[in-house]
Amino acid sequence: MKPALHLDENPCRPRHYKPAPCGALPKEGPEKELLETSRTRLLLTGVLFALAFAVIGFRLVDLTVLKGGDARISHAHVQPHTEATRADIVDRNGVLLARTLESEALVAYPKLVDNAAEAARKLVRVLPDLNQQDVQAKLGSGRKYVRLKRQLTPDQQFAVNNLGIPGIKFETAGFRVYPKGELTSAVVGYIDTADNKGLAGIERGLDDELKTSDDPIELSIDTRLQYVLTEEIQAQINAFGAKGGAGIIADVKTGEIIALASLPNFDPNDMSGANDDNLFNRATLGTYEMGSVFKIFTTAMALDDHVTTLAGSYDATEPIHIGRFTIHDDHAKHRWLSVPEIFMYSSNIGSAKMAVDAGADRQRDFLDRLGLLTEPKVEIPEIGRPEWPSAWHLVNTMTIAFGHGISVSPLQMVTGVSAVVNGGILHRATFLKHPDDYKPAGARVLSRQTSEDMRRLLRLVVEQGTGKFGAAPGYLVGGKTGTAEKVDGHGYAHKELLSSFIGVFPINEPRYVIMVSIDQPHPNAQSRGEATGGWVAAPAVSRIVQRMAPIVGIPAVDEDSPEIRRALLVDFAPSLGRKIAAN
Amino acid sequence: MSVFRLATWGWLAAVGVAGFATYEVKYQVAQVDDELGRVNHQIDGDRDQLRVLSAEWSYLTQPARLDQLRQRHLSLVPVTRAQLGSLDQIPFRSGETAGPAVASAPASPAPSAQARPAVRLPGGADLVSVKPGAAR
Repeated sequence: MKPALHLDENPCRPRHYKPAPCGALPKEGPEKELLETSRTRLLLTGVLFALAFAVIGFRLVDLTVLKGGDARISHAHVQPHTEATRADIVDRNGVLLARTLESEALVAYPKLVDNAAEAARKLVRVLPDLNQQDVQAKLGSGRKYVRLKRQLTPDQQFAVNNLGIPGIKFETAGFRVYPKGELTSAVVGYIDTADNKGLAGIERGLDDELKTSDDPIELSIDTRLQYVLTEEIQAQINAFGAKGGAGIIADVKTGEIIALASLPNFDPNDMSGANDDNLFNRATLGTYEMGSVFKIFTTAMALDDHVTTLAGSYDATEPIHIGRFTIHDDHAKHRWLSVPEIFMYSSNIGSAKMAVDAGADRQRDFLDRLGLLTEPKVEIPEIGRPEWPSAWHLVNTMTIAFGHGISVSPLQMVTGVSAVVNGGILHRATFLKHPDDYKPAGARVLSRQTSEDMRRLLRLVVEQGTGKFGAAPGYLVGGKTGTAEKVDGHGYAHKELLSSFIGVFPINEPRYVIMVSIDQPHPNAQSRGEATGGWVAAPAVSRIVQRMAPIVGIPAVDEDSPEIRRALLVDFAPSLGRKIAAN
Repeated sequence: MSVFRLATWGWLAAVGVAGFATYEVKYQVAQVDDELGRVNHQIDGDRDQLRVLSAEWSYLTQPARLDQLRQRHLSLVPVTRAQLGSLDQIPFRSGETAGPAVASAPASPAPSAQARPAVRLPGGADLVSVKPGAAR
């Protein structure tokens, strides 16, 4: 298309060629056009390159001299989440209750060990707690892999490493420690160390969360109160030669379980001492006929359904004969009793009649509303199923009125009583701490007025009734005693008792429900032949209140001040008699 | 001609400087990276130690153990209601009125030896004193 240019006509010729006199550039035509296009393209490319270099240059200056646009992003070094990791468990104040620590385990690959006898001898010299025959047998077994010892100390690891035995290796393994040991074992539970799997308590109930969470699980438990509760129950078990005991402190406004004890207990750090008895959670898994503490529900039901009023009364002159049963009062008054008297003297006859007035259906509905007929849903798996008659006959209505013929767990009792005294709102029991400003939703199960009446009645029991030993000077405790005869194979065993006390504190504006149950107490020298709830469990609650009040910051009050007297006054027709019946 | 040579040397020098600077920076980065690794390793170690130590702390502060130690070494007893009160239970010092505390403060004489404590703890100071020599 275009004729090849001669050398002299080439405008781009090298400089050292002496140019022939330049021919005039084409003024127009296709040549001129070509030249223009090339120049434009060259210019464009040049500009692009210049821009790119300028950008890189600016960025370099920016990064090096001006230290970059953003501040340096620094972030904490995070340890990788491994198989054996498990979240901590802490109490409501952040006190550590369970943690997985790493340790070196001593393992061996027997096929790589040349001289099993020699290796075993050397190992036992630095690790004297190993058995030489045992180690030699393992090393000579020809198996692929054996584990010789868990949890080496750094010193031991150093010493073994210095032996330089081929085929002996270390392996990092997690192990779970429970710093508070048996104190919190009933709630925290324990794990199977071999496969990092929860076997009881929170460890089992929240197994998945514990395996995946990086943050500790915060329980509602307060370790300080847990200690107070455990110690006082243990003191009563010792004093009355009892078989065991259980206790719960719960927050009435939130349903949080602040302390929960089941004695005897086990040490999750050393499961060799664990047996069926001390692994059994008496506070949540055990269901018992609770006895007279159930009259709290009977009375609340009768008042709430307007079956009777605080001014009402029942004839407790004669025992009730029904079928092959006779219902009588332990220390009978043989006269008419007002509703408050029935409660404070714990009259079985009066309570049974009250329940009959309400009727079986209403009784069952009311108990169901308070969660006493269904398994409570909480975070630990050790939950007992309540037992109650499938056919709710008249006799059942009567016995259930005073807590026989129905078995519930202490946890259910505490949840139900919380609702009775807190103004009538039922909160689900929980072992997890609520955030500080969180107001849990609850269901109204009885009226505000009934709740207030019940608080007065509970105070009356402690002031003048069967629960006098539950009183704590300076603090307003209300409560109810209960003494149930335990069922053995052939019916009620007279000597085997479950003696309980449910305390509410402070009764004028309840914050805590405290329940103590002592299993099979025996009368002692001080108790005048008695092993009832009023003698055995109530003193423990009194001491618990006196010890916990300063911890939780509830000030002491003047129990006889006019305002408090007025707030808790009950007219129970005192002219009818002031003798106190035991339970 | 000379202009061309000067420019060439200039560029060569620039390349040399840039190369040296790059090497220097890279070397420093490698050093800092080593340091980072070392520090991270140390953090891991410290964190592990903290985990062990705080677990041990929790173990050593078991309420039952503290209670035993208290009984052995101290004459302290748990706080009772007698030791607790509220601010309005504290009476004013003699000479002061129930006016606003701030206003009356400058007017009152400086605390002197005669100024007796207005409040006495029930049971006196004995309640919280440590038995001499009880620690051993």
